[in-house]
Amino acid sequence: MMPIHVKKGYDLKIEGKPSLDLVTCAKPARVAALPEKIPFIKPKLAVDTGDRVNVGSVLFFDKRNPLIRFLSPGGGAVEQIEFGPRRVIRKIVVALDDTEESESFLSISEKDLENTPREALVRAILIGGLWPLLRGLPFRDIANPEVAPPAIFVSLDATEPFQPEPEVYLAGKTDLFQYGIKVLRKLVKGRIHIAAPEGRLTGDEAIDASITHRYSGCYPAGDPGVILYHIKGSSAENRSWYIHGQDLLLLAQLLKTGMYPTERIIALAGDAAENRSHVKTRIGVPISHIIGDATEGDADIRPIVGGVFTGYTGDRDSFIGFYETALTLINRGDQREFLGFVRPGFWKNSYSRAFLSSFNRSDLKMDCSVHGDVRACVACGSCNRICPVDILPQLTFKAILADDVDDALSHGMLDCAECGLCTYVCPSKIELAGILKGAKMAYFKEQA
Amino acid sequence: MEFLRAFFDSQRKHFTGDGKLERWYPFYEAIETVFFSVDTVSQNGPHVRDSLDVKRFMTLVILALLPLLFFGIYNAGYQAHRLTGQSLAFTDVIIAGLWIVLPIVLVCYLVGFFWEVVFAVVRKESISEGLFVTCMLFPLTLPPTIPLWQAALGISFGIVIGKEVFGGTGRNFLNPALTGRAFLFFAYPAQMTGDAVWVAAEAIGAPLIDGFSGATPLAISSLTEAYGSIHAGLAEGGHGFLTLLLGRYPGSIGATSSLLCIIGGAALVLMGIASYRIILGGVIGVLLTGWILTMIPADGAIPWMALNPFYHLVMGGFAFGIVYMATDPVSAPDMPGAKWIYGFLIGLLTVLIRVFNPAFVEGVMLAILFMNLFAPLLDHVEVKLALRKRVPNV
Repeated sequence: MMPIHVKKGYDLKIEGKPSLDLVTCAKPARVAALPEKIPFIKPKLAVDTGDRVNVGSVLFFDKRNPLIRFLSPGGGAVEQIEFGPRRVIRKIVVALDDTEESESFLSISEKDLENTPREALVRAILIGGLWPLLRGLPFRDIANPEVAPPAIFVSLDATEPFQPEPEVYLAGKTDLFQYGIKVLRKLVKGRIHIAAPEGRLTGDEAIDASITHRYSGCYPAGDPGVILYHIKGSSAENRSWYIHGQDLLLLAQLLKTGMYPTERIIALAGDAAENRSHVKTRIGVPISHIIGDATEGDADIRPIVGGVFTGYTGDRDSFIGFYETALTLINRGDQREFLGFVRPGFWKNSYSRAFLSSFNRSDLKMDCSVHGDVRACVACGSCNRICPVDILPQLTFKAILADDVDDALSHGMLDCAECGLCTYVCPSKIELAGILKGAKMAYFKEQA
Repeated sequence: MEFLRAFFDSQRKHFTGDGKLERWYPFYEAIETVFFSVDTVSQNGPHVRDSLDVKRFMTLVILALLPLLFFGIYNAGYQAHRLTGQSLAFTDVIIAGLWIVLPIVLVCYLVGFFWEVVFAVVRKESISEGLFVTCMLFPLTLPPTIPLWQAALGISFGIVIGKEVFGGTGRNFLNPALTGRAFLFFAYPAQMTGDAVWVAAEAIGAPLIDGFSGATPLAISSLTEAYGSIHAGLAEGGHGFLTLLLGRYPGSIGATSSLLCIIGGAALVLMGIASYRIILGGVIGVLLTGWILTMIPADGAIPWMALNPFYHLVMGGFAFGIVYMATDPVSAPDMPGAKWIYGFLIGLLTVLIRVFNPAFVEGVMLAILFMNLFAPLLDHVEVKLALRKRVPNV
């Protein structure tokens, strides 16, 4: 076990932490897959409106590699396929029926796992539709099934507000977790790194014993990219893979049972949420199903799917994506504040010391206001101080805007953990993280 | 507040869409956002944003400058009254000070704001708050006798040539306020230097009392003839260490009180606005250079060299310059190590210019402008060194 200390980063003091209680949600009326939210793929539909699908039937696949398939998280009829601008596939909605039949897949017992060749295992995961849970650094795209990675990171990260705690989703799943690790060992050429926060135990000795790295520090200390940056010995490790702890359980369940797993544990949080807790529900549930009627008609609340830094904006009628495991409800905050810039700000969250909130230790209410207008960079240096992978965003974003990709790359643009902290702290309200992420995406497309 | 809200809501239509004054939207926006913060919300992640914005950032600098402005008003009035033999009662002095200083500050703000609005409208950008800091800094560095047209010309040069031609706040490489001051310094030396400009006797319409020279501590130091007598010379001119620290002596409007600069600087450092690296680096640069000079056995040709290095810190505009001018984040280097060196070299150059180049009695302005030019180079070197440690990822 190796300790890692991540010096930079930031723990947001935001109100609305979920409790560790696990509440089981009733069966929803419909579930959906959201091709739009899967990064980098070119989705092609495999179903049409009205088609009957089982749990595990193919809904769409990646045109670039048809083996990368996305399966239906529910059984029933395809109710609606919604397209966005330029025919982007927004969502495929499946109305669930009572019986919900399942497709069956290859199941591999723990004993057979040792003797299963790597290719067969890769194929089983691809066919089982869970390959996309394995992600490749540095672009965080879907891992390339044709190569064996130098390392795979298993992330038990919950440093971003508010993600499900590993001790909740791992409870009673020790065997599954260990089985999943064995699967990963077959896939990797190098080593498996299992990173968990220092001090906090998952409550299970077997899991705790398998942890290879203990990290300490603020958000995003537990991010696989950040941990890789801190333990990286050579550039060969740049193309490591990672998988989130909860996703590893899904993968293990698929291979162990031969059934497409649909269970998800989602953290429901945020100061505008009423029953803040962990919720046991399914992949692709409607947001309204989780938050219930409590906030019906309240247009001033923004549901954020997947964490306040990295998530996307949802609404009552949208669904939780394939990867996301958190739902945070906060106020939109589009009110104009009278003389806001000279107030002492005892309740205003800030990384800087420019508000009296520096002396306020408690969690503070936050909303989606950007708290200011866009200005040119004044070189305040906040982003340089906060960046967990030392990219120097203040200089790198200027290199990107000047089209000097080589300079940006030498600054470590690809190490960017996409944590969003640079955008968060910027007093000039520049979308630094968006610029860095966009440049990475453009570079990815150039490489492809 | 409701009334103000209603006022802005009713006026907004003239500045947006098809309104007649649509081109002048930056002007409307600048005024409105003084009273009401913007209502923009984040479009995508991160959904929450820090409460700090440039407006507050710059406002805190202005707040840290206000004590200096108030002291400057008091001091300008006090010196004018003292050296014309008039009442030294507090209210009399303040009224005289307001009479001397306020027109200069107002002219700077009006002219500076005018240029900013012109450029914002032409560029269709918003007005950046950096302007309000520049327009406060600039008059504080001027002698109280400055003709108003020169103040207007100086701030115009500082804003337009020092900043706007490069793209506005954030894209300038020189400190705009100092650029304006340097322009006046070289263009109109008669009104910017010498012994006569530091007491605004004319402004209050009274003749100076006989036998007053008006020499500033820097001028006295330059004129001291005998080696080793510099402290005595200063004390004789009424410039003991304590006077220099407190700042009640003739000098530029806002830069005489080193004590207030220390307090303002401490506040800015505590709030994380000013870089302590630059300030400490500058102080170390002055003390070290000053100390080394006292160690050099001189034949008395340059009595300046014997000056106790701590005097350098409180004389002239060094404290003001290092706290408020050198820490301007835009023209200073970005990297932490480069900031130390930048500050140190400002201190070093300030002392060297003062001691070895009596033609420019005040060294700090030139030292900061000179180091502004070197800031990108310092950054470049530090970034290159930092990148060596990085495992490449391409």
